[in-house]
Amino acid sequence: MLKSLGRIAALLGLIAAAAPASAQDASWQQVVDAAKKEGKVVVYNMALGAPYFTAVLKSFEAKYGISVESLDLRASELSERIRTEQAAGRYLGDLEIVTTTMIEEQLANGDYVQKLPQIPNAANLRPPFRATEHSIPAYVQSMGILINTRMVKDEDVPTSWADLNNPKWTGKILSDDMRPLGSGNTMFALLQHTMGAEFNEKLAAQKPVFSRDMRNDARRVARGEYPIYIPQVFAFASDLKGLPVKVVIPKEGAPFAEMDFALLKNAPHPNAARLFIQHFLEADSQLLYANAWMSPVVNGVAERANADAQPFAKAKLIGPAKLAERPAMMSLAKKLYP
Amino acid sequence: MSISAELPPRPVPRPSLFAGLGAFGRALGATSAGRFIAIALLIAVLAFLSVYPLSMLLYGSLHSTPPGVAGEFNLDGYADVFTWQSFVTLANTVGISLAKTIPSLMLAILLAWILARTDTPMRGTLEVLVTLPFFIPPILTAMAWGMLGNPQVGLINQVYQWITGSTAPLINVYSYGGVVWHMMQYSVPFLFLLIVDAFRAMDPGLEEAARMCGASRWRTFRTVTLQLMMPALTGAAILSFVRGIENFESPLFFGSPAGIRVITTDIYDSINQRSPPQYQYATAISFVILVLLLLVVLAQWRMLKGRSFTTVTGKGYSPAVMKLGKWRWFTFALCMLFFVVTVVLPVGQLLIGSFFQFFGFYQWDMLTLDHYRAVFSSGEFWRGFRNTMLLGLVGATLTMLLGGIVAYVSVRTRWRGRMLIDGMAWLPWMMPGIVLGVGFLWGFALLPHAIPIYGTLWALLLAYISLGTPLSVRVMTSAYAQLSYDLEECSRVHGANWLQTMWRIMIALAWPAFAVGWVLLFFGIMRELSASVLLYSVGSEVLSVVLMKLWANGNAEQVSVIGMIMMVMVLVIRWIQLRLIKTRIGAL
Repeated sequence: MLKSLGRIAALLGLIAAAAPASAQDASWQQVVDAAKKEGKVVVYNMALGAPYFTAVLKSFEAKYGISVESLDLRASELSERIRTEQAAGRYLGDLEIVTTTMIEEQLANGDYVQKLPQIPNAANLRPPFRATEHSIPAYVQSMGILINTRMVKDEDVPTSWADLNNPKWTGKILSDDMRPLGSGNTMFALLQHTMGAEFNEKLAAQKPVFSRDMRNDARRVARGEYPIYIPQVFAFASDLKGLPVKVVIPKEGAPFAEMDFALLKNAPHPNAARLFIQHFLEADSQLLYANAWMSPVVNGVAERANADAQPFAKAKLIGPAKLAERPAMMSLAKKLYP
Repeated sequence: MSISAELPPRPVPRPSLFAGLGAFGRALGATSAGRFIAIALLIAVLAFLSVYPLSMLLYGSLHSTPPGVAGEFNLDGYADVFTWQSFVTLANTVGISLAKTIPSLMLAILLAWILARTDTPMRGTLEVLVTLPFFIPPILTAMAWGMLGNPQVGLINQVYQWITGSTAPLINVYSYGGVVWHMMQYSVPFLFLLIVDAFRAMDPGLEEAARMCGASRWRTFRTVTLQLMMPALTGAAILSFVRGIENFESPLFFGSPAGIRVITTDIYDSINQRSPPQYQYATAISFVILVLLLLVVLAQWRMLKGRSFTTVTGKGYSPAVMKLGKWRWFTFALCMLFFVVTVVLPVGQLLIGSFFQFFGFYQWDMLTLDHYRAVFSSGEFWRGFRNTMLLGLVGATLTMLLGGIVAYVSVRTRWRGRMLIDGMAWLPWMMPGIVLGVGFLWGFALLPHAIPIYGTLWALLLAYISLGTPLSVRVMTSAYAQLSYDLEECSRVHGANWLQTMWRIMIALAWPAFAVGWVLLFFGIMRELSASVLLYSVGSEVLSVVLMKLWANGNAEQVSVIGMIMMVMVLVIRWIQLRLIKTRIGAL
């Protein structure tokens, strides 16, 4: 008798648990239907046609039959275009994928983005990533040290950021400019916290040579112009297989820049935008990024990445950079590198 | 070849269209009301194309926030400009621009003289070849020169060290010299293209007269040839100087590593790498530059005012070339040297590199045609190519027509307001491209929604016309300045109507200049990025945006393939152009 009562209680429990889930499913299905009715989604992004981004777009179009209009712009152009369009009452974009700090800046300067509706896959975000009222992580670009394997002996390969300050590398480090906004300054700011102020002072004494063309800089190292380049975005080195270069992940971790989704004000296709975010956070979409040597933002993906991509997908992360600290970090960089 | 403008002895038959348009043209020019309407129309067009976006930027420079955002009017942007640091940067910029303009002009004059006025062998081929560097995207030549001239493993330095046994590098492109040299890659062919037709269109009788009066060759060249070229030379030099001030890629790639700061990298930083973007400073410093450059243009006007530079008159002449004897092989070698250094070395790197998996890694196992396959099978490339061809063809043609009209009114008439339109046409050239692109964005986006420009190809077309008009006006002004007034008067006396006079005199004789301007504009449109990237929308992608995206994704080799395609187009278009000029001039 007790057994039967127990079974009935368990059954009732299951029904009770399943009821909200089905209600949730039904309401999500309404979002999917509404998205299909809207027919398209306009995504403003900074991927500039990166193949992994394009692959996610295609998989979304194939799965839902909703077309994606991707407007690729560089950071400042993207934010100015959104600002100008909204000032002119032209609400053309649905979503943006930009850095966390850009969204913080938009929120500080106006109402360019709106509150995000609930995204089911947000529940699967892995720490330290989390959604906020206005943004949700999309992908992460982490950075390490690039070395020329013909110029840096095995025993000299830096394993820590501190190894860059070895006198043997004086004048031999090529670096993204640390003074303006960009990867160089992000690294500078994050290592200031992680490694202490002395680290940046010593690094400045190493007289790194600044450049402003990250894509070409890795090739300059490969050609032997310099033995070391910092900071090397992992993903940008994933297509250099065959060249005498190697990306090192220092033991302290990899500084990173986080790219987030935000829903633009008066987005003309809000449901399609919501569905797109959900799709982007699916494990299969994130796997495309992980295989391109980026850190996935959801659970259960890094382990599925290709063998060569796993160290980068699983890298210990340092960050993110904070908007409030940016002016101080930029002026400190200018002081150390006059 | 003859440039004599022999007119028909009796009025030519007038087709009805010619007669109608001729009457319209006559009505516009002959009556004061017509002149007023014509000038007002031109002012309206130029106001929309150049003054309107600039007024947006002026607002930006005087307001604490960009258009559409609450803020206040103040002079903070200008206050930031008038600092010692900005002064040093400005002086640096002017110095670099002068350092590249002066030698570039001298070299361009030498090349133009060799290829237009001497019997140097294979002049036609050389003329096409020496202009090639101008048409390659600067980012590609920067990469190529980085590979050739870096102090550590640059090819030139390695060869030098191998020959001499030295351990020190011969050259370092990451220096002032590197910045100037990279800029010269563009300014020499640019100047050459602008002045070579002025050399061609000159009556050698004037030089012969000087020689017969006892002047030496050098004195003749200095006091006759150069003096007659003054409008073309000064106009071209100013265009080149202004371009030098606004050059961005060379200081970014070769100056930044050496700590060299110029105005454009300062502006780039203030917009792209400050948080938030400092538009007020960027626009304010751009207006300061604009005023300074306008002063340079005014100085040119003042210098040329009241002097005559007509070399093409109604009197027939044969622009015979100078016989150099055995020296013609020396001049041939000079041109070849220029071609080898500025074309073969960098373009050769790009060409070879495009067949390897990675640039600069020339191993047999890395040979591939993948980059060509990727480009030719890319839907985005073809969409960008189609849009760019359409915009290039229409944009270059309309810009040259507008430039021709503005130049005609400015040079060939005494209409009131002609100086104003000439000045208005100059304006976009004075504003650095990065900033002007923002002006177009603000201007077009803030238009009433009923005017369907923003987000369409029209926005790009109008921006290209605006950006190109200063060049088209300069090119046509130089050409018209060489045409004698008696040609027009003679045509009218013989009964030709206004349109026939325009067609048979002003257009036919200025056709070579028109063609050169068209080519410069067409390829300028292909390369334009600052405005394109802010104005394009899904479906209206252009080639420069496609190139930028490829570069940003590390596909330098595919960018090179597109660079090679552009090279082939240059060769074909220049060949057709030179053939047409020859046929046209021969037929006159």
